[in-house]
Amino acid sequence: MDLLENIGRMGRKTAMSFIETISFAGMVIFRMFQPRTYNSAMRTVLINQIYFTSVQILPVFIFVSIVLGSFLIGIVFQLLKQMGLTGYFGNVLMGLIVAELSPFFTVLFITLRSASAINTEMAVMKVNGEIKTLEIFRIDVINYLLVPRIINGIISLVLLSSLFSIVLMFSGILFSWIIFDISVDVYSNILLSSANFSDMVISLIKCAVFGFFITLIPIRFGLRASREFTSIPIVVSSGMVNVFTAIIIIEVLSLITKLF
Amino acid sequence: METNRHQAAPVSIDVPLISNQEVWMNIALIKQYHENMPRLQAQNMVLNALQRLDLVHIAYKRNPSLTNEERFCVFLLRACMVKDAIVMIDRPFKIIPHLQDIDFIFQTLKKIDDFYLTCHIYDYQWMAGKYGEK
Repeated sequence: MDLLENIGRMGRKTAMSFIETISFAGMVIFRMFQPRTYNSAMRTVLINQIYFTSVQILPVFIFVSIVLGSFLIGIVFQLLKQMGLTGYFGNVLMGLIVAELSPFFTVLFITLRSASAINTEMAVMKVNGEIKTLEIFRIDVINYLLVPRIINGIISLVLLSSLFSIVLMFSGILFSWIIFDISVDVYSNILLSSANFSDMVISLIKCAVFGFFITLIPIRFGLRASREFTSIPIVVSSGMVNVFTAIIIIEVLSLITKLF
Repeated sequence: METNRHQAAPVSIDVPLISNQEVWMNIALIKQYHENMPRLQAQNMVLNALQRLDLVHIAYKRNPSLTNEERFCVFLLRACMVKDAIVMIDRPFKIIPHLQDIDFIFQTLKKIDDFYLTCHIYDYQWMAGKYGEK
């Protein structure tokens, strides 16, 4: 009986947490579409956030994209050649690597670098009483802190994932020439004929959803910190676990969407 | 006070600065948020205000780099950014513990007396000596 009770309690807790996250997400989306949210202070935070997440990261991100992307493309092309599936390399490149792996690698990269930082930043602000400062000066925490970070998450994920895809496609030129002895013109034609518009749209929507949740969840958990410093590691670790759970759920949902 | 809540401008150690923002951004935030003042205009206004207190050099510093006196001045300028501010200084000697008397606070308030409507200082009875009372 104890076991059943524990399972029930855990299930109820998980369901409540899920419902709370979704209702919180709904509230944030509502604020995102309110013009008065976009005041000068919010825009300043948004610009700073985009700089920290998308611009500062560029040298490392491009380096990782080139190294990881080139190896990935090289291995996949080599495998296709060994299996005699050379004719499908365009579909594999566009359907698997560009549409699936690019958003996934990008979201992992941004989660490790920025989502963890946002989670800690919010927790520290809560512990220091800085959130209370904002409330005392009648500054809406959602409009000032949450919305710019979430919009930044969406913009950064879409842009960086697109950049990763572009790097991969350029790596593809080199490897298709080395492995398949294909010229740039032929390579471009194969890519264009393999590109599926709906896949691209799903991929971009997936990036936007990733960007939304990998910033929303850390903020939500960061704001759960108490006034004690010892609460910071607790909220950060639970926030990050939930972010990775969300990434897996979104990935699975997008795969289900593609199946139908 | 209930009717003037939107004018309340606290200066207190319990209302800290936002640690991930520079001094000028902490002060400009109120104007940028409530009056939608453009960033550059707000920045210039803050720099001018800091100039009045000879503190322009701290504009791009963050909270941990400030001395107690500088922090007090930033608290005060931030409070003054509230429209028609009624400044309420809560236990000033808790913000600047090494201060011998209230002179520094009064001098600072005098330099920017056109920035606020009124100012109230709240402290414990036993601190009366620091205010020159017997």
